[in-house]
Amino acid sequence: MTPIVSYKKITKVYDELEVLKGIDFDIYPAEKVALIGPSGSGKTTLARLLMTLEKPTSGTIEVEGEYLWHEEINGKLVKAGNKHLRKMRKDIGMVFQHFYLFPHMTVLKNVMEAPVTVLGMSKKEARNQAEEMIEKVGLEDKLDVYPSQLSGGQKQRVAIARALVMKPKIMLFDEPTSALDPELVGEVLDVIKEIADEGDMTMLLITHEMDFAKEIADRVAFFNEGVIAEQGSPEELFNNPKTARLQSFLSRLN
Amino acid sequence: MSTFEIFIALVKGGIQVTIQVTFFSTILAVILGFISGLARMSRYKIIRFISGAYIEIFRGTSLLVQLFWIYFALPIIGIRFSPISTGILAIGLNYGAYCSEIVRSAIQSVPAGQTEACIALNMTKAQRMRRVILPQAFTMMLPNLGNQLIELLKSTSLVSMITLNDLTYQGNILNATTLETTKIYTMLLAIYFIIALPITQCTKFLERKFSEGRA
Repeated sequence: MTPIVSYKKITKVYDELEVLKGIDFDIYPAEKVALIGPSGSGKTTLARLLMTLEKPTSGTIEVEGEYLWHEEINGKLVKAGNKHLRKMRKDIGMVFQHFYLFPHMTVLKNVMEAPVTVLGMSKKEARNQAEEMIEKVGLEDKLDVYPSQLSGGQKQRVAIARALVMKPKIMLFDEPTSALDPELVGEVLDVIKEIADEGDMTMLLITHEMDFAKEIADRVAFFNEGVIAEQGSPEELFNNPKTARLQSFLSRLN
Repeated sequence: MSTFEIFIALVKGGIQVTIQVTFFSTILAVILGFISGLARMSRYKIIRFISGAYIEIFRGTSLLVQLFWIYFALPIIGIRFSPISTGILAIGLNYGAYCSEIVRSAIQSVPAGQTEACIALNMTKAQRMRRVILPQAFTMMLPNLGNQLIELLKSTSLVSMITLNDLTYQGNILNATTLETTKIYTMLLAIYFIIALPITQCTKFLERKFSEGRA
């Protein structure tokens, strides 16, 4: 099977700090991949590069067989322009740790915004689809409420609906529950689980919730100091960690 | 002259020019403020430089001198404006420079996460400015813009120096003929205050309207 996302020799350097040190990593269609590891190990950066929020320092990323950050013009590989990036982003969606809902729009407007402005959908059609997604995350009674009146868990569920309505093939979840009060984590994980169970979507989940990673992931990758130190099925990784780094990481969580 | 007669004489003679200059220079200042505020953040160095130069020049020199310069110095190189156009232009340019800093700082204080959310939703730069960043920045800039407008109104009294018959000019004339100094200038204070009231109220109204639903 050909990968839907393929990172090749990816590095990312901020000033002096090398956050990613030559990552080779493939993600397959419909695969659910969990990225775990200590803070600052580079897992969030990996997702941000794929969402085109940050540019790799070197290396290439391919999405569905096409370069993400480069495009071929007259047989030469050059830096991708805006048009290319917009085309590539169509299939990728992201959910952020801090939600980033639009505070000046109601729940419904938040979810309708991109279908109308980006896809040029009619208001009526966008409204239907938005309502469907909001219902899916269980917030149909909050349509006309502003984000400031929602709990963290509800905000994150709206953010998930907002990303889903664009029908991405690949969804990135960047620590979706890390900013939530413990009692609100469950409702968000339930929604993510539901999406995962539908099966079609390729998912990259960055998380500190090991039980959840174990539950939904087909594959888990452990990041440490800018490299993937170990990867495999959840059973392999959690029950039988091979590297000392992963062993100590897991033991510190328990 | 009774207080009432002074009031009538001031308003009749000068209020039209004051309001006209305030109104048109406000429009000019706000437009210039938005254009140069956005230009300040352009990715092109030359555009940033031009807008930076404009802002620094007009903030860094006195409005009165700018007024004189446009009125007395420009005609020497063949550019001539009527007194009222001079007043509107000078005040608009001067306050536009201040407004642009308000616009820029408000836009920059919208959290970076908002931009990232827009990118993740595949919005273009123009779409995200128009639909997400500016509406939020606008709420933040309103109180400061309101303050600038009141400053602008008060500074219109300077146009009396280039022979424009505004409230202040009218006050000076009345003072010279009647010598009712206390009454005239107290009345003048009151009239400026009354004109400023709707501006304050309007800003407050907009602030409430645009921050609807937000914490």
